[in-house]
Amino acid sequence: MQEKLVEFANLLRENGVRVSLAETLDAFSASEVTGLGERDAFRAALRATMVKRSTELPVFEELFDIFFSGLGEIIKQASQAVQNALSMSDQEFQKFLDEITEMLKKEGKNLSELAKQLLQNNSGELERKINEAARAVKISGIERTIEENYFARALARQLGLDKIEAEIKNLREQLEKMDVGPELKAKLEEYLERRLKALDDIIRRFVRMEREKRDIKQKDDQRLNQIGEKSFYYLTEEELKKMNEAVNRLAQRLKNVITVRRKRAKKGRFDIKRTLRQNLSYGGVPFKLRFEKRKREKPQVVILCDVSDSVRNASRFMLQFVYSLQDLYSRVRSFIFVADIGEVTEHFRNNDSKEALDVALKGDIINVYAHSNFGYAFRSFVSDHIGSVNKRTTVIVLGDARNNYNLPHDGCLREIQQRAKKVIWLNPESRNTWGFGDSEMDRYAPHCDVVEECRNLNQLYRVIDRLVTG
Amino acid sequence: MFSSIEDVIERFAKNNYIASRRIATVIYLATELRKPVLVEGPAGVGKTDLAKVLSASLSFDMIRLQCYEGLDEGKALYEWEYAKQLLYTQILKDKISEVLVGAKGLTEAVDRIAAQDEVFFSERFVLPRPLLKAISSEQPSVLLIDEIDKADAEFEAFLLELLSDFQVTVPELGTLKAKHIPLVILTSNNAREMSDALKRRCLHLYIDFPDRAQELAIVKLKVPEAAAKLSEEVVTVVQSLRKLDLKKMPGISETLDWVKALTLLNVQSLDQELVNETLDTIVKYEGDVRKAQEELKDYVRRVRARRGTETGSDKDLLN
Repeated sequence: MQEKLVEFANLLRENGVRVSLAETLDAFSASEVTGLGERDAFRAALRATMVKRSTELPVFEELFDIFFSGLGEIIKQASQAVQNALSMSDQEFQKFLDEITEMLKKEGKNLSELAKQLLQNNSGELERKINEAARAVKISGIERTIEENYFARALARQLGLDKIEAEIKNLREQLEKMDVGPELKAKLEEYLERRLKALDDIIRRFVRMEREKRDIKQKDDQRLNQIGEKSFYYLTEEELKKMNEAVNRLAQRLKNVITVRRKRAKKGRFDIKRTLRQNLSYGGVPFKLRFEKRKREKPQVVILCDVSDSVRNASRFMLQFVYSLQDLYSRVRSFIFVADIGEVTEHFRNNDSKEALDVALKGDIINVYAHSNFGYAFRSFVSDHIGSVNKRTTVIVLGDARNNYNLPHDGCLREIQQRAKKVIWLNPESRNTWGFGDSEMDRYAPHCDVVEECRNLNQLYRVIDRLVTG
Repeated sequence: MFSSIEDVIERFAKNNYIASRRIATVIYLATELRKPVLVEGPAGVGKTDLAKVLSASLSFDMIRLQCYEGLDEGKALYEWEYAKQLLYTQILKDKISEVLVGAKGLTEAVDRIAAQDEVFFSERFVLPRPLLKAISSEQPSVLLIDEIDKADAEFEAFLLELLSDFQVTVPELGTLKAKHIPLVILTSNNAREMSDALKRRCLHLYIDFPDRAQELAIVKLKVPEAAAKLSEEVVTVVQSLRKLDLKKMPGISETLDWVKALTLLNVQSLDQELVNETLDTIVKYEGDVRKAQEELKDYVRRVRARRGTETGSDKDLLN
């Protein structure tokens, strides 16, 4: 059993579930407590000891089913099929099997163990034999569909299938000589025939199942990491969905970072003056200690997000990020622009992320099919919304600065910078292409405190991390 | 302790808690292997109740530690009663001067005072917090560490040490070892991912929302006075709401609240107006309420249409 559990742990690992050695040991002791008799309890024991993330539960359930019932189930189905082919009821079949056992006792002296077990329908032993043979041919190395045939043949050889074939042929010849009724004889013949086929079938299905085990590989975590390095421009629809998940996780992680840091910074140094003054009433005995209180500014953030066609994928993702950010800080104002600029703060606050993003990108708030015009957008922002920017505000611009050769109005950005605490520009384009063609990045960059390339999730994460600490 | 998994189910049932086989198995394992259990799952599925029922069915004391942002050792483990120590020194000033009588020079005086150290750093002045209480308790106990995800990562690391050895070192007093290893239940709402190290030490139990039959059984158990039809309808509505994309899903506790409220209003069966008026007992956000209303409009209409034509069972419809 221990071997089987170790193998199962390996399988879980292959499929992206992190199972440590200690957890495997726990699984041993847990399965000893519950025993193996009851499937549900055994399952629950493994589940509680080996799977520690709720997201990994489906993988576990699926693998458990395949791993712990697979072969037994296949064998059961195979013998059921034989029974059906002979059109017998359960009782008849059982009686028939008993007869065979009787017969084998008399005639089957020279039959191999496996052949006997096969004919007597001893599924437990059969299962053990097949598992043994499977280990011998190292079936755990199977990876591709085309290898199935090879492994099936190897397994058959290991089990000595050709020998069994010969043995059964022999048995049939013996059957001819025996004096049993013609009806029973016909049935026996058919049974032998079918059993042999069934074994073949069992082997094939077993090999396929083994391959499938290794195929489920839902390495979610890994895939998310890969997405982390992938540029926003090349994301597929499905990856975008995954991305949302990643962004939410990112926001969550960010939140933790913030709480920890906030806590550490909450208490300042020991304040001698205040402590003395406070404790005058106790005759100068310091009953109550006083510390300097640190004032924490709540970060105020204004976000300007480009949603034009040139940054389509990126902007969807960026908006998702804006949405998460707004959830995180209480004082965030979000604007989107192409040429016109519009505020989406309220909108984001009241709707869930998917709905909010859809509306923002559909063009209900501003015309998203216009040609992007950063200059115009900045000028409108300065004339209409400059009040939202003050000394404590961090302004974040998300966009590629592709201005379609319109007037850049970089003076407006300068004005924003002068009023704001900080201006951060995150550009989803590669740094090499800045300033070429209609990119006005070089013109805008001097008026920003931070300019970062932000092409994928990992870069974004780094930027945010700096933003939070700074 | 429990004798088998069935025993867990039975004794929990006596304490008004319907434990699925999975839950019971994990609890049984926890008592047998003496391992802490980390219970995760959405809010309001009975995570905290699990600990309460566990302590009740074993008749152990329950010691609860509610976690929050900024919780530190002083609040969780022990604190020196600074004020009390000061008060004692003030009151005992005379006695202290007696000790110092005849001391030659400052050094000797300090030495004499130092010799009395343990008087002031004794268990008398230790203010035990939940964790120390659980360790030093004379009776076996159940320690509930609630909403561990709200605590900071440092606290989690500190907890690890405690959970592996069940002993605490107080520098002035020495090491205190647990007389009885407490049964530890940690709950988490998944506000953040717990560290791998912590998870490794625990048995993991994920409690999801119950299915219809289970929830109905729970309602019947907890609010026996509710009309059978009403509870069925309420459970159906709540189950269908959980399929929506809500900010906060209604938990079992919300279902129970709703049934209780409706029963208090002497309601026998749901209708549109009632649903609208009392919806905020189960859905807590503005946006969610709107979505829920949208969903329920259809539902109530269907029920009414059905009722118009025949007064038979609603069961098919409910599914």
